[in-house]
Amino acid sequence: MTERAPSTSLRPPTEFPDLAAPATISGARARRTARLATAGFAFVLVLGAVAVAAPWLAPHDPTRQALRGRLTAPTLEAADGRARLLGTDHLGRDVLSRVIYGARVSLVVGVAAVVVGGALGAALGIAAGFRGGFTDSVIMTLADAQLAFPFILLAIGIIAVLGPSFPTLIVVIALSGWVNYARILRSQVLVLRSREFVDAIHALGGSALRVIARHILPNVLSSLVVVATLELARAIVLEATLSFLGLGIQPPTPSWGGMIHEGREYLDSAWWISTFPGLVLMLTSIVVSRTGDWLRDLLDPTLRGE
Amino acid sequence: MPLTRFTLEALTEAMMIQVTRRELLKGAAALGAAATAPGALTPARAQTTQKRELVVAQGGDISKFDPHFSTSSNDIRVSFNLFDNLVSRHPDGKLHPGLATEWKLHGQTQWTFKVRPGVKWHNGDPFTAADAKWSLERTWDPKVGTRVSTVFTTIDRIEAPDPATLVVHTKKPDPLLPARLAFYGGQIVPQKYVEKAGNDEFNAKPIGTGPVRFVSWTKDDRLVLEANPDYWGGRIDVDRIVLRSIPETAPRIASLLKGEVDVITQLPPDQEERVMGNASTKVEGALYAGLYVLAVNGKRPPLDNPLVKQALSLAIDRQAIVKELWRGRGIVPNGPIAKGDNHFDAKLGPLVYNPGEARERLRKGGYRGEEIVIETTVGYTANDKPMSEAIQGMWRDVGINAKVEVLEYSVRAQKNRDKSFKGLWWSDPTSTLGDPDGMMWRLLSPGGPQDYWRHPRFDELGEAARFSVDEKFRAEAYREMTKIFLEHFPWVPVIQPYEDYGLQKYVEWTPNPNQQFEVRRFNLKLRRA
Amino acid sequence: MRGVFRFLAPRLLRALIAVWLVSTVVFVVMRLSGDPVPLLLPPDAPRSEIFRVRRELGLDRPLPAQYGVFLANALRGDFGRSIHFREPAFAVVRGYLGATVELGLTAFLLAAIVAVPVGLLSAVKRNSPIDHVAMGMALVGQSAPTFFLGILGILLLALKADLFPTGGRGDWTHLALPALTLGAFAMASIARVTRSAVLEVLRADYIRTARAKGVAEWLVVVKHTLKNAALPIVTITGLQFGTLLGGAVVTETVFAWPGIGRLAIQSIYNRDYPVVQCAVFLSAIVFIMINFAIDLLYGVLDPRARR
Repeated sequence: MTERAPSTSLRPPTEFPDLAAPATISGARARRTARLATAGFAFVLVLGAVAVAAPWLAPHDPTRQALRGRLTAPTLEAADGRARLLGTDHLGRDVLSRVIYGARVSLVVGVAAVVVGGALGAALGIAAGFRGGFTDSVIMTLADAQLAFPFILLAIGIIAVLGPSFPTLIVVIALSGWVNYARILRSQVLVLRSREFVDAIHALGGSALRVIARHILPNVLSSLVVVATLELARAIVLEATLSFLGLGIQPPTPSWGGMIHEGREYLDSAWWISTFPGLVLMLTSIVVSRTGDWLRDLLDPTLRGE
Repeated sequence: MPLTRFTLEALTEAMMIQVTRRELLKGAAALGAAATAPGALTPARAQTTQKRELVVAQGGDISKFDPHFSTSSNDIRVSFNLFDNLVSRHPDGKLHPGLATEWKLHGQTQWTFKVRPGVKWHNGDPFTAADAKWSLERTWDPKVGTRVSTVFTTIDRIEAPDPATLVVHTKKPDPLLPARLAFYGGQIVPQKYVEKAGNDEFNAKPIGTGPVRFVSWTKDDRLVLEANPDYWGGRIDVDRIVLRSIPETAPRIASLLKGEVDVITQLPPDQEERVMGNASTKVEGALYAGLYVLAVNGKRPPLDNPLVKQALSLAIDRQAIVKELWRGRGIVPNGPIAKGDNHFDAKLGPLVYNPGEARERLRKGGYRGEEIVIETTVGYTANDKPMSEAIQGMWRDVGINAKVEVLEYSVRAQKNRDKSFKGLWWSDPTSTLGDPDGMMWRLLSPGGPQDYWRHPRFDELGEAARFSVDEKFRAEAYREMTKIFLEHFPWVPVIQPYEDYGLQKYVEWTPNPNQQFEVRRFNLKLRRA
Repeated sequence: MRGVFRFLAPRLLRALIAVWLVSTVVFVVMRLSGDPVPLLLPPDAPRSEIFRVRRELGLDRPLPAQYGVFLANALRGDFGRSIHFREPAFAVVRGYLGATVELGLTAFLLAAIVAVPVGLLSAVKRNSPIDHVAMGMALVGQSAPTFFLGILGILLLALKADLFPTGGRGDWTHLALPALTLGAFAMASIARVTRSAVLEVLRADYIRTARAKGVAEWLVVVKHTLKNAALPIVTITGLQFGTLLGGAVVTETVFAWPGIGRLAIQSIYNRDYPVVQCAVFLSAIVFIMINFAIDLLYGVLDPRARR
């Protein structure tokens, strides 16, 4: 369910314990999990490298059309004698090159949305937890409203107002994600605040910002990293979903969701146009969200719920 | 002067093109695709049917039944069959009698229509000239607030002196009045029923004089119509017609190949081989009675520069677009007048592709890499986005800094209203009247919906041709206007496409170039064993 | 009972405010998104026509006035008239409701019926091939983009294997693919939660005791675990049902399913404000009611949560 903000692997502990994770994690398992998480991060790094190095990696110009060579099936030797490993699309553009370049859109939008949404959500979550009372109620009511909104509809509406572009997509996706950070950080701050040392510092005249910066942020950082990783997977999928609905980045910039959208009409005759970007998207989503799970097991047992 | 002659002479060229048997075989052989389709029937059996029901799948759903409240093509397919017009435009492109059996022009502005006797509404009430008068007046009645209130602005007043006669007075000479009556706004609705039931009830349970009666409608799913047994043009060849809405192309085609539906609309050229390769299905197409053009905002530099616009046109490889993107299902236009319309100049060659000359004119025109934006919709016209991207590539090849932006329909509609397009945008100008006046002049005239460029001589000729009943003069005027057009390109015409339908082979039916879906007895027959 | 009320009252208030916020946001966003009138008229309609229709639809009034009318009417359950269909908006939405409920319920039942036994089996046969396969699939189901699962389903099961129709509503064959697609995420989540909940219980002392006493393994599993793991399973299941309705938007689009989700998207494109407002309002109410019910369940079943 990409349209609702929460993903179940990400329930805040106080409300919806995620029982999917094992209760304890022993030494040997911890080492294994650490290796897996490292591998997951390596995957993201490789993807990032592919995105950066796209001009050198892509065998063809991803926007170069060849109407006479359109809808070519994957082949080692196309009409022009060069390989089209994943075939060509309805305008004769090389699908492999477009998949490689598509990583750029996914990562740029995904990472930016995570940063923006994370900053917003963390700020609101910490404020709610730290201030409590009315502030807390307001922020949590906002969160409720956000969750009750069929998000994809809100996204379509906002994009209709602002027009499809990189900044719009980033804002929309960030908006969809802030609740998850806010809820988790809020509950963590609540726990931290109840400890004596925070109150003590407060009583000694430390300013609220100082307390947050010195004592709260470092303590919630690992949760933030875990949530951000899980959110990255969600953001990438949401970007692809919006592109699939025709609301993404403008042509001819390739994006995975947009390619799946374009290939849909040719699903029966030229299956490769939709299928390859879809498989890469699916793989990315699975690896990144799994990495988040592993990280959570390693870094932050409290997130697993009791 | 007998009125029918007027258009009959002008529209001598039949527009209907059927895919020949040879083409079918060629298509199938080229792909070797025959018999791979699911549910293919054996040819002998497939040629006939015992069915008494016709199932049609179209790409979008109906929104309204009141014919005066919609001009969308999905609605028109239904409303022209629930209702009759006084004059009817058949798939042969010519005007034929409808609810009026004959019409005559007296002097310059008085038209007399003889109304068909003995016609009954679906609820049994008799139809009279008073209904026709009331119905036409309803279109511009501000209290009703229809969506077609501007169709009959040339009409001054209407009289119904007796139940069989209708007299229409126009404000100025209007050679195209019968053609106007044949299209939207001209559907005749029942005075008594609408007055009694109210507009909402009428929209929910429409009653007409047409060959089919309304039975039921489930939104986004299916509309059921049944044959009107007492239809004046003869009972149609099936008992029921079911219209289904299948917006996606692949499922629409699959449902045809599996035999679940008998006719599908909006068949994209890329998918035709599958329909032709299947033993039991065929393709029928009509050359669209209009053009697909990139309309130009000639007020925005550098698009106010004729040399730049000429370069835009010269840099488009239309042959490649027609042959590859449309698989040959279209023709390259030669100017602003669609093939098949009045005053189409068959001697004029198709628009030329010459990238070298395009570069030269850009240089002469002093083009300095200003951004030129194509604002495209996705599916407003068939292939609009792929064509935009293809043309963007071609323009870049000659050094034009072209950009494509995707718009939603409603944003396009709003920009159309505000005249705020950034550069070029897709338009599918069609002549609802079979005449350049109803197409080029309707859209490009001062104050018209695409008024972005003015040229005194062009304006003078357009205005004169509109109110002239001298066809020789009009022909000369449109020839000169075409010349001016091809220097200034207020539109960059790209293609005149075929609009293709997929059918079961046992369905004998001819498509209409102006998107009407004619099911009357003369045009629809199921071949039965 | 007093305790339950004190636990519920603030939540109810928050829920009401949330519904109001949602309606307000959708009102504002829709008005900002553009004018429905140019879509209703032929392209050559003159400006005066556009102003006339705007007046007829009440769109010429200032936004705050429109908002006031909207709120006052919405409180009485009146969402205005659809601009596109010329019918009351609620009647339009109601017409599409059946299809969405049919799809949502099927997806949900399918998910629950498959996922709970699979989760149970996975837990009991922990680390067996069955467990690995089931959890592997759950992982895919949980992380894969809904729309691409649908596309894959269409490609493999409808077009290549020709087992199901590619879209539209009809008999059960039409329902199978969209229900599976829509239910995949819920199925995966429920299976994973069931598995861990059962594992948790299996580790508990009383199970070991029961085993030591020689009670048959399956009996132990069924009796104790289901009793003790019921709460988290019910919770996740209920939550999944809430999100299913939202998920219907994408699934209905992929499969051309004539439900509320697709209606809502089409209505946004048509700028049919009243229909969008009505659909979003109903969807938000359902989501909030389900969450509320879960809270209630927690409050009643687990007294600790009331604090």
